[in-house]
Amino acid sequence: MRYLAIFLSVGFAGGQTLPKIGEMLDTAGSARPVFGVAGNFLVGAVDAANVVSEACSERLCLTKTASTIRSATGETDSPPGPAIFGLDGTTAIVYFPQTRTFARWHDDMLDPLDWVVDREVLSIGTNEIGASQIAVRRGDTVVIVTPDGAILDSLPSPSGPVLLLSQQVLFTDGDSLVLKKPNASELRFDLPGAISFSPLSAHYAEIRAGSALYALRIDAGREHLFQLPGSQP
Amino acid sequence: MTRVLVIALLLPLAARAQLAMYAVNGSIETPLGVMYNMGNVAEGDTVDLRIRIRNLGSNSVTVTQFYGLGAGFTLDSPAGQFAMAPGTLRDFILHFSANTLATFTAWIQLNDISAIVSATTVIPPVLAILPGCSSPASLTIAFGPVNQNQSLLCNFTLQNPNTQPMTISMLTVTGQGFQGPLGPSVPFTLASGQTISFAINFTPSAPAFYFGTLAIETRSYSLMGSGFDLTSPILSFDTTSIKSSQQHQLIMSLPSPSPATLSGSVNIAFLPDTALVTDDPAVLFLATGTRSLPFTVNQGATQILIGGFSTAAFQTGTSSGRIRFTVSGPGISNNPTDLIVPPSIISLDTAIATRRATDLDVSLIGFDNTYSAGVMTFIFYSTSGQQLSPGAFRADFTSNFRSYFTSTQAGGQFQALVTFPVTGSTLGILGVDVNLTNAAGNTATQHLLFQ
Repeated sequence: MRYLAIFLSVGFAGGQTLPKIGEMLDTAGSARPVFGVAGNFLVGAVDAANVVSEACSERLCLTKTASTIRSATGETDSPPGPAIFGLDGTTAIVYFPQTRTFARWHDDMLDPLDWVVDREVLSIGTNEIGASQIAVRRGDTVVIVTPDGAILDSLPSPSGPVLLLSQQVLFTDGDSLVLKKPNASELRFDLPGAISFSPLSAHYAEIRAGSALYALRIDAGREHLFQLPGSQP
Repeated sequence: MTRVLVIALLLPLAARAQLAMYAVNGSIETPLGVMYNMGNVAEGDTVDLRIRIRNLGSNSVTVTQFYGLGAGFTLDSPAGQFAMAPGTLRDFILHFSANTLATFTAWIQLNDISAIVSATTVIPPVLAILPGCSSPASLTIAFGPVNQNQSLLCNFTLQNPNTQPMTISMLTVTGQGFQGPLGPSVPFTLASGQTISFAINFTPSAPAFYFGTLAIETRSYSLMGSGFDLTSPILSFDTTSIKSSQQHQLIMSLPSPSPATLSGSVNIAFLPDTALVTDDPAVLFLATGTRSLPFTVNQGATQILIGGFSTAAFQTGTSSGRIRFTVSGPGISNNPTDLIVPPSIISLDTAIATRRATDLDVSLIGFDNTYSAGVMTFIFYSTSGQQLSPGAFRADFTSNFRSYFTSTQAGGQFQALVTFPVTGSTLGILGVDVNLTNAAGNTATQHLLFQ
């Protein structure tokens, strides 16, 4: 046989922990793990309190407090206020709306960037070749631009939040969430009043609508909107 | 002439002997005598004394004087004279009320008969209503809606606020549907500052409003309650097909308009089919992440608002069994509503095959709502699409799964990583088919390609 493979044994290495969905930012400003499978969520104990922004991917989870950015390995001082994260592997581009500055986060350090965007920054993402993209509101229009200002795409006048995902864009249109796919097709989910988006994990986006929190599964072919437990006082 | 005069002189004496005054309490008459003490009266309260005049003689008597004089007292006496035939009686009410602490007296005059009636104002005992009942107005105690033939017990405390001991001679509950007081027996004495507890039970026998009276010494409290005949709230759902790992909506309504504004709680519980676990913690209401939500229904409405909303989202968990909904609250009957979550084959949320230099990993995330998973079969394929020998590779991880389910008590969800050490190159292995078995049947993955 050309490709010889002999299976000596089989080892069962799993089953010791619950499957983890991601990390949510609850309505009290606490970061909490979310366990389970789609449609069956269990929210764990508080990992961090007084969190103002959070973003998680497969390999990285960053939380922003008033003046620090924390990861699983440490924390670093940062400009005040909330942050918009664009996660890329084990690094991230971070935008601080209060100071209107960009920085690159890596290894629990922040390196300032000289990017200048003179409009409201809504989201930061990375395209399939690793280039950064920024969603910017310009009047009634949202455009997706490169850090040097080149326009890549535009969205049909969404007034609410925008989240750049891996090859997808999430935004609102009236009482609907719109998930724009790489082929420009759109999936819509009824949810009035969405006020913020954040990456819950590589597979879910967290949505706040009023006092409720939702998780939108974004895996291709398995898109579904769920409500997260314990999201109302 | 002399004879006539004698008769005339005797007439007042005869009239006096014919009339008598009594204090009437219920059916008991007590001669008023020269002095009559009404006892202690709570300051600010009004207490009535029924005074009865009897003509005990065999002749008619004209009452020319009948009045009462004294601060705090008012006698409902008739204007002018009135006659009383032999053997007749007439009742009059003497009211007393005062807002200062003192002993008050009234002079009662009936023709040439006189009496002094006294009353002493005191600070009344302090009644406190413990949670469970309410006092929507002064001197009113509301028991709230209670389903007919069910009971609601209200607890009270009574305290003597005076610096002197206080004897409680009157502590009664009257009124259909109200039973009590449960606790102390009168008479009893409360030392200064002392508190005692007692209770009143309300058991409506029919749908109606009920009224009663709690009398404590001279003070009376109105008791109010309402009985209802509610059928269970109707619980409905956004689907008739329930499966594990789903989120659904609960809707609650009444079959007819609510006779009153009611509130209570709706509760969710889970009864698993398996004995390996006692619960599934993911079965909960999503709004709060808890197993109980408050609900209200307004008077005249049929729709029940759950936590302020028309629906309540809940999760079905990852265990087969029964999701049980119960409702509780005054006036709400409690008939459980069960949703059956049937056993199902293993559901895979994610299945990933990963290649390493000397190992092949198969990562499986999903749930087994029967808690019987363990048997797996793996069939590997070469890059040419040929099934690799020795063919189907069967493994039994039942004990691992049972141990995991038992220790986590977190439902049937699992994350399993199966590793195959390989001798030789793993590059020639393209993919794997995985078959998982539980008590409900088999689950086969799509052809997983090693990444």
